[in-house]
Amino acid sequence: KWKGEGTTQNLESIVIGRCYDYIRIVNPAVGEKNCSQIWEAFKNAFINKDPCSILPKDYELFINLTLHTIPPNKSLFWENNQLLVNSFAARGRRYMSVGDTLFGFVGDFLNWCGQADSPGLDYESCPTMTECENNAVDSFWRMASITYAQHSSGVIQVLLNGSAEGGAYPQPGFFADYEIPNLQKDKISQIVIWVVDDIEGPDADSCGTNSVKTLETRLKTLGFDVTCTDNYKSVMFLLCLD
Amino acid sequence: MPLQQGSARVRQRTVLLVGIAVLLAALVLAVVLASLLTHGRHEVSPKMLKWKDRGTTKNLQEVILGRCYNYITAQHPELGDKDCLKIWESLKDAFIYKNPCNITPEDYQPLMELASHPIPCNKSLFWSKTGDLVHRYTKSNQNFLTLEDTLLGYMADRVSWCGDPSAPGINYESCPKRNECESNPGSVFWKMASKMFAEAACGVVQVMLNGSVEAGAFRSSSIFGSIEIFNLDPDKVTEVHIWLMQNIGGPQSESCSGQSIQRLISILEERNFRIICEDNYRPVQLLQCVHNPDHTDCRLCTNSS
Repeated sequence: KWKGEGTTQNLESIVIGRCYDYIRIVNPAVGEKNCSQIWEAFKNAFINKDPCSILPKDYELFINLTLHTIPPNKSLFWENNQLLVNSFAARGRRYMSVGDTLFGFVGDFLNWCGQADSPGLDYESCPTMTECENNAVDSFWRMASITYAQHSSGVIQVLLNGSAEGGAYPQPGFFADYEIPNLQKDKISQIVIWVVDDIEGPDADSCGTNSVKTLETRLKTLGFDVTCTDNYKSVMFLLCLD
Repeated sequence: MPLQQGSARVRQRTVLLVGIAVLLAALVLAVVLASLLTHGRHEVSPKMLKWKDRGTTKNLQEVILGRCYNYITAQHPELGDKDCLKIWESLKDAFIYKNPCNITPEDYQPLMELASHPIPCNKSLFWSKTGDLVHRYTKSNQNFLTLEDTLLGYMADRVSWCGDPSAPGINYESCPKRNECESNPGSVFWKMASKMFAEAACGVVQVMLNGSVEAGAFRSSSIFGSIEIFNLDPDKVTEVHIWLMQNIGGPQSESCSGQSIQRLISILEERNFRIICEDNYRPVQLLQCVHNPDHTDCRLCTNSS
């Protein structure tokens, strides 16, 4: 029916398990959360609805229940380099990317969708972005990105892929469309951009050129204090691993 | 007149005595009621044994189940036939309602059988005193698997559990430390899982040791030194590669030529394994360099061999 993969099997157990894993082991500092309630709120965002009509605000209750402080200076935004970011963030110990927050942690690498007029999850197939924008998973990440940006403070880091086709700063993109518009100027002291090329990859983009220049200009116009570094050494070492 | 006073005094005394009796009865009733009401509430905790280590992880069932499904669904779909509910039940049965100092390998046998799976050759990565670094490495390089990257290890990592003969059979307050008793649920689990992990290894195996530890990189008392090396199967394992990692910026307590390493090499050679030892294996060192980018040991990959 749809072109994308169906809902991940055992989704409920995985989401609830991850929720408890996060509050008991990964980051107990967030305190007590009701993981069953969180699962219900998550599910209710998209079940019994046309799977092409899910909006970010449908996840509002889920976000309210999972929200916690993001420590200042630890936010790490990124585009086109998820595995690299996961290595670099060290599961929240060095930086806290959106996947290291409770709301991001429970949804990472999973897939889901419902169906109209039925309370069940669709395990057969789910709509892709190209089939419809307002699908359950993309709206989830939009909401998560918006929330993540709104609660980031201090020095924020942005990791971009200088070898990416189409530019290091993709437009449209999550960072461009959902995160930048939700950054809180009064809470942010500086934005640090790192443009890192793949090892032996093309140096398609770098600070001060092309899409990165567009990004720097946009942020400066918005009133942020911006710095940009090419091939930030720390991150380069991670790339050498592959 | 004297007669009237006498009877009034008797009446007063009677009232007083009745009053006292009523008060006493009420007091006794209150005490009885209080002990009955609080009896149930106190029943659970004070009867449980008290230990020195942290107790069972709260929501253990949800965490274990979630991790099991996460592993077989999202990460290793080839293990799709595993029954996570049965696996959880077999873990619980291994320790619930038991005295946590009396756990045996037999208690874990059903769990081990249900949750074990084959490990591809040349991918087993053992470790000792390098927990943080080795797991950062396997997260970024999926060519190697530590015990904690297998289903059993993945479910149990950083989780604790122990039982108690009193209801509800699980002790969330405390669990025995190794020095309180060796046959505790955690120690027995990890010893068994380590033994099986070693037995399953084939081809070339790797081990990451710490060359900055004062007590020596290889210790016979560690799980690696006491269990894993003796359970490698010489019919399946051909070679052992030792990666001896020192902290960036030292101390350089030991290198491949060091005493404890020589001891390890001789033990392994006696069992007919070929050994290769490498100081500061470069790919892992690069990971260390992420947090020490300006150190002289940390030149970028384009310059190094």
